[in-house]
Amino acid sequence: MQIFDVETVCVLGAGSTKYGKLDDSISDIAVKSSVSAIESANIKPQEIEAGYISNVFGIADKQVHLGPVIMSNLGISEKPSLSIESACGSGSVSLREAFANVAAGFYNAVLVTGVEKVTQTGTEWTTTYFSYCSDFFYEGQAGASFPGLFASMARAYLNEYDATEEDFASVAVKNHNNGLLNPKAHLRKKITIEDVMNSPVVASPLKLYDCCPFSDGASSVILCNEKFAKSHTKDYIKIIGSGRGGSPAALQGRDHMTTIPSTKLAAQSAYKMAGISPKDVDFAEVHDCFTIAEIVDSEDLGFFNKGEAINAIRNKETELRGSIPINPSGGLKSKGHPIGATGVGQAVETFDQLTGNAGERTIKNANIGLTHNFGATGASCAVHIFQSV
Amino acid sequence: MELLVQVAQFIFFKVCDLSAKQEFIDAAKSGKILARQCKKCNDVNLATVYFCRKCGNNQFENIFIDGTGHIETFTIITVPPTGFEKYVPYAWVIMKLNDSKLRISGFMSNVSKPNEIPIGTEVQIYGFDERGVLIKKSKLCY
Ligand SMILES: [Zn+2]
Repeated sequence: MQIFDVETVCVLGAGSTKYGKLDDSISDIAVKSSVSAIESANIKPQEIEAGYISNVFGIADKQVHLGPVIMSNLGISEKPSLSIESACGSGSVSLREAFANVAAGFYNAVLVTGVEKVTQTGTEWTTTYFSYCSDFFYEGQAGASFPGLFASMARAYLNEYDATEEDFASVAVKNHNNGLLNPKAHLRKKITIEDVMNSPVVASPLKLYDCCPFSDGASSVILCNEKFAKSHTKDYIKIIGSGRGGSPAALQGRDHMTTIPSTKLAAQSAYKMAGISPKDVDFAEVHDCFTIAEIVDSEDLGFFNKGEAINAIRNKETELRGSIPINPSGGLKSKGHPIGATGVGQAVETFDQLTGNAGERTIKNANIGLTHNFGATGASCAVHIFQSV
Repeated sequence: MELLVQVAQFIFFKVCDLSAKQEFIDAAKSGKILARQCKKCNDVNLATVYFCRKCGNNQFENIFIDGTGHIETFTIITVPPTGFEKYVPYAWVIMKLNDSKLRISGFMSNVSKPNEIPIGTEVQIYGFDERGVLIKKSKLCY
């Protein structure tokens, strides 16, 4: 593939609101998060040349066309902006478009903000609206909820490999342990395997504690070229790989139910651009909308062979002090999943980790971090690889 | 005259667009899956596809595939989307067709426990309504 390395793209600053049930309006949340990234980057808003905003259900809080609202409140109403929707993968897709434009030299510095505000709507509204992210004619229309679609993958995985529902549960337990160390996480609560196993079944074999919560929240990063980064005396990290891929929108169009084709394509492309292999990655933030998703992701990203993620989990390899920590932030499961913000939030965590600002959950001597985020059942996906300077 | 041709083409494509899904629905109601076989490479695609995924050709022949097969994977839904409350618990199933490489997903009513429909269970398509494609156990199973 063509590698757009005209400019080296850096992350100069990053910030998030708390994830969870928030009272502020969608635009207030988005602006607060944007301000925290601008302060983290130690730049003036006027230095931002464009805004990339990711959001899915702005309509639920009476605000679409969020870009100009955010830019106006930052005092830079004349700067161009756009909104990007790619279901739960919106944030990373937006990051990718911002990356491409900075890499190509169109802009020196841009703002990337992802935001979601849905908790005021209630579980029924969210379950129904989220099902519109599936291939509706074949899936949502036939009563497939999102937990149901991933539950189908989980059932296939249990059938194909040596895995148990307790193994799935241990992913939730691990991510909650990490989230306990993250002050901005939505569900900061220690849980046990029994808690997961005893929680109500949502779509068998997935139970309530196998599922990430619906969250409100916003995350922002400032991307810039390296010349711009160097002119500001401040820590920054580089994006050394960016890849995207697609899968058949409906599960029925896929040859295997225990792998997500778009993850593999995005990862291959990002690894190639970065010139590294999976074993060079020190930690990863992956799309664990459901426990089964983290298992499938970690195999599709090449950290483990097919079917072997289970052994790695049993051997604690993916825990915070393991050989390949996965979701040090707590992941979607514990940190929360404001769907338009999640992909950007993963980049915020990676920035904090690689600049040594992740507090108690900082992974020592980490040099390379990977983020993986997808839309719906992985119909769209983006993978990014970051390196400390 | 040119305008008339454009209008005619517009109407023609509109009708085609509508009929792909409607024909699929009509076929499902009689227990069959409507698919499109590529005239160039013979690859079988879903009825809603406009270009062959193998070769990019857009000339297809409609084929009707027998709607029998086996369950490849499934879930039993207890927290449903709006409109499905009255059907809970129900199964959402992905089945592999016997006579094709295609898989079809759909709705299966009155299933409450996983051991009622283990993976591999023989099933058949028997209708289509507001719950999408309807699937049931094949009679042979009883
Ligand atoms: Zn063909």
